[in-house]
Amino acid sequence: MGEEFTPRIVGFLCNWCSYAGADLAGATKQKIPSSLSVIKVMCSGRVEPTLIATAYLRGADGVLLAGCHPGDCHYREGNYYARRRFALLQKTIETLGLEPGRLMLAWVSASEGQRFGEVTNLFAEQIRQMGPSPLKKAFL
Amino acid sequence: MAKKIGVYICECGSNIADNVDLDRIIKTISPMRNVEVIEKYRLLCSEDGKEFLKQSTKDHELTHLVVAACSPKQHEHSFMSVCLAAELNPYLFQMANIREQCAWVTPDKEEATDKAIRQITAALSRVAYQEALEKKDIDVSPDVLVIGGGIAGVRAAQVLAAPDRKVYLVEKSSSLGGKVKGFDKLFTRMESGSALIESELRKVEQDENVEVFTDSEVEQILGFFGNFEIKVIRKATGEQREFNVGAVVLATGFDLMDVKRLPQYGYGKLEDVYTSLEFEEMNVPGGPTGGKILLKNGKPPEFVAIVHCVGREHKGYCSKVCCMYSLKFAGMLKDKLPNVKVSELYSDLCVPGKTYQKFYEETKDSGVEFIRADKTTVTQDGKGITVKYENESGPKGDLAADMVILVPAMEPASDTNKFAEMLGIPVDNEGFLVQEHQKLAPVASSVEGVFVIGCAQGPKNILESIVQSEAAAGKILSALVPGRKLELEVKTSEISETFCTGCKTCISVCPYSAINFDDFRKIAVVNEALCHGCGVCAAACPSGAARVKNFAFTQICQEVEALLK
Amino acid sequence: MENSKNSTSVLVIGAGIAGIESSLLLANAGAKVYLVEKASYFGGNIIKWEEVFPNMECATCMIAPKQQELLQNENVELLTLSEVEAVQGSLGDFTVKVRKKARYVNLDNCIGCNECFQPCPVEVNNEFEEGLSKRKAIYIPCAGALPNAPAIDTDSCLRFKGEDCHLCQEACMFEAIDYTQQDKELELNVGAIVVATGFRTFDLTQVPQYGYKKLNNVYSIVEVERLCASNGPTEGQIVLQNGETPKSAAIIHCVGREEKGYCSYVCCMASIKQAHFLKSKMPELKVSQLYSDLCVPGRVYQRFYEEVKESGVDFIRATVNEVTQQGTGVAIKYKTENGEENTLNVDMLILAPAVEPGTDSARLAGVLAIPQDEHGFFGEKEPDLEAIDTSREGIFIAGCAQSPKDVPDTVAEAEATVGRILSLSRQGS
Repeated sequence: MGEEFTPRIVGFLCNWCSYAGADLAGATKQKIPSSLSVIKVMCSGRVEPTLIATAYLRGADGVLLAGCHPGDCHYREGNYYARRRFALLQKTIETLGLEPGRLMLAWVSASEGQRFGEVTNLFAEQIRQMGPSPLKKAFL
Repeated sequence: MAKKIGVYICECGSNIADNVDLDRIIKTISPMRNVEVIEKYRLLCSEDGKEFLKQSTKDHELTHLVVAACSPKQHEHSFMSVCLAAELNPYLFQMANIREQCAWVTPDKEEATDKAIRQITAALSRVAYQEALEKKDIDVSPDVLVIGGGIAGVRAAQVLAAPDRKVYLVEKSSSLGGKVKGFDKLFTRMESGSALIESELRKVEQDENVEVFTDSEVEQILGFFGNFEIKVIRKATGEQREFNVGAVVLATGFDLMDVKRLPQYGYGKLEDVYTSLEFEEMNVPGGPTGGKILLKNGKPPEFVAIVHCVGREHKGYCSKVCCMYSLKFAGMLKDKLPNVKVSELYSDLCVPGKTYQKFYEETKDSGVEFIRADKTTVTQDGKGITVKYENESGPKGDLAADMVILVPAMEPASDTNKFAEMLGIPVDNEGFLVQEHQKLAPVASSVEGVFVIGCAQGPKNILESIVQSEAAAGKILSALVPGRKLELEVKTSEISETFCTGCKTCISVCPYSAINFDDFRKIAVVNEALCHGCGVCAAACPSGAARVKNFAFTQICQEVEALLK
Repeated sequence: MENSKNSTSVLVIGAGIAGIESSLLLANAGAKVYLVEKASYFGGNIIKWEEVFPNMECATCMIAPKQQELLQNENVELLTLSEVEAVQGSLGDFTVKVRKKARYVNLDNCIGCNECFQPCPVEVNNEFEEGLSKRKAIYIPCAGALPNAPAIDTDSCLRFKGEDCHLCQEACMFEAIDYTQQDKELELNVGAIVVATGFRTFDLTQVPQYGYKKLNNVYSIVEVERLCASNGPTEGQIVLQNGETPKSAAIIHCVGREEKGYCSYVCCMASIKQAHFLKSKMPELKVSQLYSDLCVPGRVYQRFYEEVKESGVDFIRATVNEVTQQGTGVAIKYKTENGEENTLNVDMLILAPAVEPGTDSARLAGVLAIPQDEHGFFGEKEPDLEAIDTSREGIFIAGCAQSPKDVPDTVAEAEATVGRILSLSRQGS
């Protein structure tokens, strides 16, 4: 584990808030870790546990789920479901041998470009320190 | 059929070109599966760029298109139009964001290039699994049902009705007009309330496009936006009428809270303690006292106490209009009984309107006493009525009065809850109908096509009720144009009959109540007219039967796999 | 009601939330909308607010989808840097002259990369940020402003003072900067007009006793809102003028109420929200509010007030007698209703100003030939009964242009103008 490793992080961003926030981070030239790759979904509530599990099984070292702040969901309640699923998933991924810190949930609004930068850099550093996902050795 | 995917990379001037190695991207992506052509272009969103894209798509006979450029939020819309112009289904198109989320945020050029390659590969893999989708539309009825014949309902009917749009106005009592009929004067210019409502009613009664039902109840509302099925019953005869409308407006109005629940005010026990509505009734020319302000003993009062905020603390909200109409009462009293002494006991003076403060100051200047009071009680002994109070810093006070007017909190009218349940509209703790969005959708409800206006959704004055009725009309007239079909969301959810087990999980999570249960086939079915495509059902479905078009599991999975290769 | 091309067309003046809402509804009904906005960006006042009461939602996030929809809607022609100069005609047939000032930036070529700002040698106060930060002569007011393209401020740009500076043009990769652009005179034919020109806040220098721009660390509520905003001049950090973090703050309600003679309706709620917002960012901050009457009408506002009060914010019913400087902070001498006199010492004083009609109201009222009321707001035909009609048929008013009000009432009025206009156009046909 002493070698330099480049984390692979998959981010599921909701179309209305967090994706727009990520765009604003770009427009204001924040530095976003290149280890993060983004998938746009219409709502954070779309992201089912199997998708997140697939990400880990395919080699993701970290998964970020980002949506609108509670109360601001474009589809009213979608982000509440995301929040609940996240709470359960954090426990479930432990059974896969993954540390709970490899899954992050963040609320980022369309005007929070700077916050998107803070959240992603924090997460990337966290993952870098944790090292490669234990699943990588097991499955790949 | 073989897939031929075109990949076009926008240089965005130097914005992308300077920050990623475009040639390496092209070299890496070019040999990938299904890639028919991969080219870069200086500025794809320009007129020239779009023309180039269209022509190239046609020339290469592409079956799918990927554009790697700025954020889809910028130009996805216009590139989809390019697809249409090139006779390619616009849903066989995907963008890769290599500007805002790559070139602009990754200082190291090599890393940026790697990232761009990943995002483009993801788009490439995804688009191959996307399906051609067509716009859908449905026939709708432009007609409207208005429930409640008070000022809000009547105004809504007026503004909505037209030769090509019928309005059905249903009122449960025997006549239209609601509460405003009983207001002799309105603040601040002291005009006649009954005259106002009379003129509104005349317009509606003369309008052949409005069908009025009095002494009637709405028995049933089925269906959805654009296609509601209504059943109305005339109470006296039991006669039923059924008709279809496109939208429903709820204008069921208010009642005053039952002041008997607050015994400290003496209502119902002491004589000459009246509610504001009772005082209004007294002043109506054709009313029980012929419009004269009289005590129960037939004599005019000499000392009147008006007690604001009755029930405010109990209910937990401010009823907005009462300070103003209490000032109006003072004016009416002084007008009819020039020597009467009036005291107003209040907690906060609520005068939020550009003419309202002046009205307050004029009332004060006319000799009306204003006392900031708390914990007010109304009692009676041999000498007469005493109003006792405290104020915030403690000292108590009392005053003698021969008439007390209580100003109670406004509540939603009693049958508001029945309609809330019938339609599935949430209500707050007090039973007021809740708007779709507190700020941006003040008259829409969470049920599409059902609008909530007037005091049924919160205490407000006549001006605001009228504005809301016209606002609901605006929303309806904008969405339901006679002769025009309603365009639906394209990327809706659909539920596979094969895999659905009938567990109803999707139905319980859908924020728009857009999923129905088919009792015959025992499966869930999405109503595309209501579906917004959020995907909460797809994520919740334990069998994977619910699937959002172009946001399906297989498609997103392709992105995941490509990003992690 | 229908113009010669046989479709309804409408002029909407002011592209704040009211103008945006009516434009979208009208456009979706098939009407052609000319949305005239005098600033170089649109969204009006509300986009200055990061969080709005009572649910503390992000205003820019709320409005952004509507702004995007508007920019993509083919029926809406957004004319920024534009002002209405003349109006003739009547309901169904108004001829409107609009002066569209040159932006000096070609909107078709500009991609909003912002590279042109850096070389500009001129720096002036950024009005959008209430003077709390600077901008260049070629500028956008804040990150995320729409349309996503800068404008050249001819008052500060060196070229318009005779110098041959072309640094911005040199920095642009897309040939988007065009000094040859000219102001244009447009003539529009419309069936109806909606006036939605919004508000400005009372000039606090008119009440020097509160110390605004005289004493240190006295702010207007709008300035504090910009300090709190994550896309603002301090990126959301609440710092005093000397860079330190405040430990205590006081908010004074109703500043300018007496001078103006009316209650501005939204300021109590804005002040309560401000207290909540500040405490959510700095939980240790001690906040006090000085007010005379609490205006929290309706079914949701009082609850918000009570929650904020319970969170430890001190609500004091008092009149303010004197504000003086105490060190870097401020001493507020006040008197409660029972005569008790007291002094409150705080690091930061925030003033909640009255709401006034927009700067251009008098001129516009003259152009439209509609009266103003005694406060300068556009006058309604039937005050206190009808909000949106003016004396001139076919010209409607909505939002704070008519009187101070909150967002829900503003949006409702905007929607009501649409109800009337579409109703008139159908009944006429």
